[in-house]
Amino acid sequence: MQLGFLVDLHLCMGCKGCEIACKVENEVPLSTWRLRVKYVDVGTFPETKRTFTPLRCNHCENAPCERICPVQALHYLDNGIVNIDKERCIGCAGCVMACPYGAIYIDPQTQTADKCTFCAHRIASSMMPACVVACPVQANIFGDLDDATSNISKYIQTNQSDVQVRKPEKGTNPHHFYVGGGNVNLNPLASHRGEGHNLFGEIKNLPVGGHH
Amino acid sequence: MAHEILAATNAVVTLDVALPGIVWPWFVTMNMWAKSIGTGIIFMLFILQRTHPESVKNMRLPVAIIAFVFINIFLLFTLADLHQPFRMWHIFVYSNWTSAIAIGSFMASGFLGLLTLLVFLAWKKNDAAYDKVLLWTTILAIPVTLYTAALMSQCTARELWQMPAESAQMILAATLSGSAFMILAGGSKLEYEAQKSMGVVLGLSALMAFIIYMSEYVFGPMKAEEVAAILEYIKGDGPYTVMFWLGQWITYLLPMLLVVLSRASKSVSILKLAAILALVGLFMVKHVWLSIPQLLPMS
Repeated sequence: MQLGFLVDLHLCMGCKGCEIACKVENEVPLSTWRLRVKYVDVGTFPETKRTFTPLRCNHCENAPCERICPVQALHYLDNGIVNIDKERCIGCAGCVMACPYGAIYIDPQTQTADKCTFCAHRIASSMMPACVVACPVQANIFGDLDDATSNISKYIQTNQSDVQVRKPEKGTNPHHFYVGGGNVNLNPLASHRGEGHNLFGEIKNLPVGGHH
Repeated sequence: MAHEILAATNAVVTLDVALPGIVWPWFVTMNMWAKSIGTGIIFMLFILQRTHPESVKNMRLPVAIIAFVFINIFLLFTLADLHQPFRMWHIFVYSNWTSAIAIGSFMASGFLGLLTLLVFLAWKKNDAAYDKVLLWTTILAIPVTLYTAALMSQCTARELWQMPAESAQMILAATLSGSAFMILAGGSKLEYEAQKSMGVVLGLSALMAFIIYMSEYVFGPMKAEEVAAILEYIKGDGPYTVMFWLGQWITYLLPMLLVVLSRASKSVSILKLAAILALVGLFMVKHVWLSIPQLLPMS
């Protein structure tokens, strides 16, 4: 079994329901996120449009975080999920430095690394990840990539000319796919990120782990 | 590619979370700086024992103590940088053998053990045993110096840090700081010819390290857009431009000139000034190179 995720960006409307569901389900502390939706505005008025891109751990086949973790706190589960053992983590932040997707953070409450686990605890109880359940337009498609009859496999087959991953040049082989994505959505260098870019605040950077 | 389309798309991030700031702060710079001195001075003692054996016969204990102290500083800052320092022992119990951090921790611990033995043997004035242990300490000092480069290279997110360049820079930082510290610590114990040899090592290390930095500065952006974006932080009005160039001048250019000047004028004082500048500047150079890849948004 190899669990994977696909987001159809044609469907996503940026409601952030997945983001909130994830926060609640996993008790993600303030100022940190396992999953978030990034808005990028494209074009010049009046020819403008807004894109929405949910960003989470890519559960890579060749995960740099798993490789660099000195204590095997980041490890693979049999179903392909890159999981984290917070009791074992020493907080060296090697994984934060290694992840090319910025998907790992230092939890300010536990002072250990944390990230999306595809809601591994829910999967173990035969439930879908919280973000999948919360999505009102079924933009999140989750399932077994090894099963040709699963929804995600069928979706990839149907949209194969439009399926992308983030930063394929890194050789990480992500198990998280996007349909309908472009450079603007998936490449952080393809958009301006100025001071005060956030609609709801002027904060650009936060201290890692709440100190230093 | 991304940069070229930016003007046409006018794409702007309008809503996103605040991104993490610097993940590995100056603690890690201190880690690299202290380790360079700790291993570098062992390299220099090993060289001098073969080129100027009479000159360094009284340097066994001071060098062992200096290396011991700086490796402990390196380990202390490594520990202090952990968010869960009391779980440090997990590295030795749950070791992940693909991790440069885990392998490096074992090697650094072994290195510290050998340095402790060197201090003991020097104190007991057992020179024969000391010199045998020094050989193995010098051999182990090579991977101990290099493992931080491997760790940086395992950071897939940070395109700037490539193993070939970083490993060369780590070794050169060790020879630069080791020779500089030997010049300063040697004092009157080290005869002028030996100090001159250390000056040559210092000058050549500075030259080679400077060439590598300039090569990356000029040619790096031609290879990858991420590298180009990172190097923008040390170009023009970039936030680290001043510190970068100050570091290059203090660590490499000025010491090179001063080494040449000291040889022409046979002045040990000028050589010592070059050594001080190199040691101070190395911290700045390392800090800039550590920080700038961390400024780039990853998502």
